[in-house]
Amino acid sequence: MRKFFSNPAVREGLRVLIAVSSALLLGFIVTLFVSEDPLGAYKAFLLGPVSKFNRFGDWIEESITLIFVGLSVAIAFKANLFSMGTEGQLLLGALVSGSIALFVPLPAILRIPLAIIAAMVAGFIWGWIPGYLKAYLDANEIVSTLMLNAIALKLYDYFLIFHIKPPDAGYNSSDFFPKEGTLMSFIPNLPFLKGVYTLFSDKTNITIMLYILIIAVIAAYYLIYRTPFGYKLRMIGANIKFARYGGINTKRTIILVFAISGIFGGLAGAHLTMGIHTKLIANISVGMGFEGIVVSILARNNPLLIPFTGLAYGYLRAGANVMERASDMSREMVFVIQALIILFVTAERFLPTIQKRIEMRKENNTHMEKLAPSDGGSHEV
Amino acid sequence: MAPLVDMRSVVKVYPNGVIANNGVNFQIEKGEIHAIVGENGAGKTTLMKILYGLEQPTSGEIFIKGEKVEFKNPLDAMHEGVGMVHQNFMQVPSFTVAENIVLGHEPTERLFLDKKKSVEVTEELSKRYGLYVESDAVTETINVGMRQRIEILKILYLGAEILILDEPTAVLTPQEIKDLFKAVRVLVEQGKTIIFITHKLREVKEISDRVTVMRNGKIMGTMLTSEATRKGLARMMVGREVFLDIHKNAMKRGKNMMSIRDLSFVSDTGRPMLRDVSFNLYAGEILGIAGVEGNGQTELVEVLTGLRVPAAGWATIGEKVVTGKTPREVRMAGVAHIPEDRLTNGLAVDVSIDDNLIVDRFFEPPIRKGLLIDYEEIEKNGEDMIKEFGILTPNGQLPVSSLSGGNMQKVVVAREFSSSPKILIAAQPTRGIDVGATEFIREQLVKKRTDGAAVLLVSADLAEVMDLSDRIITMFEGEITGVFPDASTVEEEELGYYMLGVKRQSKKEMEALL
Repeated sequence: MRKFFSNPAVREGLRVLIAVSSALLLGFIVTLFVSEDPLGAYKAFLLGPVSKFNRFGDWIEESITLIFVGLSVAIAFKANLFSMGTEGQLLLGALVSGSIALFVPLPAILRIPLAIIAAMVAGFIWGWIPGYLKAYLDANEIVSTLMLNAIALKLYDYFLIFHIKPPDAGYNSSDFFPKEGTLMSFIPNLPFLKGVYTLFSDKTNITIMLYILIIAVIAAYYLIYRTPFGYKLRMIGANIKFARYGGINTKRTIILVFAISGIFGGLAGAHLTMGIHTKLIANISVGMGFEGIVVSILARNNPLLIPFTGLAYGYLRAGANVMERASDMSREMVFVIQALIILFVTAERFLPTIQKRIEMRKENNTHMEKLAPSDGGSHEV
Repeated sequence: MAPLVDMRSVVKVYPNGVIANNGVNFQIEKGEIHAIVGENGAGKTTLMKILYGLEQPTSGEIFIKGEKVEFKNPLDAMHEGVGMVHQNFMQVPSFTVAENIVLGHEPTERLFLDKKKSVEVTEELSKRYGLYVESDAVTETINVGMRQRIEILKILYLGAEILILDEPTAVLTPQEIKDLFKAVRVLVEQGKTIIFITHKLREVKEISDRVTVMRNGKIMGTMLTSEATRKGLARMMVGREVFLDIHKNAMKRGKNMMSIRDLSFVSDTGRPMLRDVSFNLYAGEILGIAGVEGNGQTELVEVLTGLRVPAAGWATIGEKVVTGKTPREVRMAGVAHIPEDRLTNGLAVDVSIDDNLIVDRFFEPPIRKGLLIDYEEIEKNGEDMIKEFGILTPNGQLPVSSLSGGNMQKVVVAREFSSSPKILIAAQPTRGIDVGATEFIREQLVKKRTDGAAVLLVSADLAEVMDLSDRIITMFEGEITGVFPDASTVEEEELGYYMLGVKRQSKKEMEALL
């Protein structure tokens, strides 16, 4: 039992668990004050995402987006580059993949891969720009990526309103994508899977993007921890002067880090258009790119942990949506509870220091025990 | 009478399992200058941090003037008159000297700071203890020696009776060291007690009354300095005879490995740092560069290793021009580089020792396997070097920050030496590290040279340059002022004249020897 608790992974898990439960408790106290039916409201929040099958779908779809943007952020953050550019990469990924899904007259088997690859390329290019500005002109990446986000948003709106939306439409969105431009359900439509297929494809938009996501997570992990490029990235993150001294081409690596981070942002965009909405709409993102920061930081920028933090954070958001719809809680109060949870989980100084102290005391004791019988005989070199 | 400080059976075990102090008994008498020597990682700094309240002992007791004390933080220690001058100065660069001295305990006039009083206090202290400072100078504009005196005055201002000086001479020029020693003697005359941590046995002999040797977290002995010899102390520190004089075979100079021609460099602020520097590096020879720091040596090394681009001139290896190329290209041409500041350039302290050992080879087999890097090979590479270079660590997965200074430097040296370089550029290779590691690194340098590598040695330690080099060049204000083809026949004083620009050889005289 003792051994079980001394496992760092277990402790980390416990730490998060304690943080989340204290935050939930605090959230409930807030709910008590605000809601006429606090129990009902909180139940909607906590159990909402799994109470109905379509809500379960919403949760997973949202989480897929979150995990993509989380990966995008993690790659840049791991190199100590504070890219805020995921939002813009996502928008352009959505615009490009959506346009191909709508207009390129190819069969699905070609059109879909083309659209997805185009989204990745769009993200790559939109990441390359701030990377170049950082590497060669020493432009602050936070500023440049935020500016590029604004440009991306305006580009998106411009193309949507003046070129893509049907001229007679009274709303700012495109037609629905044709079948050839829509991602298929992640469950293949095979005779023996008929029941499951119908259930998922009727009630949810969980598409083959799920498989691409799994590949993306593994690819991001390998990229950071198992490739020469990942080594360069991590050394730049740890000490860029050391990287340069050691012979790493820091400028080229920085540009590539930004650009590769953009690929994942672009994929998130493709998921939003071709998976969830199946059309291009205004305000398609509403800041999803920034949510990637939360997802990535909670996972300590480790790609293998991002699916978990993405799902958890997605659950929170999905629950908040249900709560908003199903109870008298306002969206703002829901945000407060959400923020509380994030605050608690990211409060890295709070629990770890206590944990460290306990650890230190324990280790001191065990070492003392070890020392005592030997009487500390002198060690000859 | 009870000793002024009495530390009894002090044990300190760090959370990572390192036993820094293992049953230390240590006494200080009032009014003495007590030197503590020992290798890096011997536990001297930890012991002093305990005395100063920065660390708490795992077990053991401290008595001051016979009374048991327990310091929870440095403030507690300060109340008992214990103050420490750290290696890294803690000062606000934009404040004046006086402001820094009274920082945190400023004299006030009603609700306002009393600046005049600060200056008065500073000048009074300065005069009383013979520690000269300009009280209204801005701290960032003054030299290191004066900044160190600020630190000392700061703790005197707070009423320190026992002053712990942690390697105070590491950053000072010879003249500043002289001034410091003079001041230390004045302090003792005024009734203060000094604990002096150092690596340099010469300084122990010069300044201290008694000396304590530490090794492996224990005290090996305390004796009157007058009864100690440098060789004897060195033996106690490392438990064997240290070659304070390097043994090396006669030089067998080989072919020209690197030619440097008319190299110039201008700093960002427009100051010329190198002016028409030309010389050759030969296989099988150690070429030492002697000079007071800040006379272009740093820039020379950085230009030669690809970290900076020269304003004019070039360096060639064989037919290949290597200046203005990237560090990778320079390394591929056979150059290894021990940088002068291991923490800035030489290491990424937060990542593992293993990862630090592959920065020059991760992109080639055996570590790169196809598209991936092979962790088994990384670990093997790490294990090999930890063993070969005697890096003190339980394993290579620990971050470099868990090592002592000497072992950190060994990580750098292990990586650079193991790449079998044709040309080795070593800047301050033994700065701030213990005798054992110093000796090891010097031996390795000589071995590389005997094996036929060309070695360029830049060091602020003149004795090191003179002992190791075959040929010596002196630099002053970015220029070569003299060249001495046989290092063994050069007098220290003579070199000094050239290092300070008092004397200078003509271009013609030097031409054939460079």
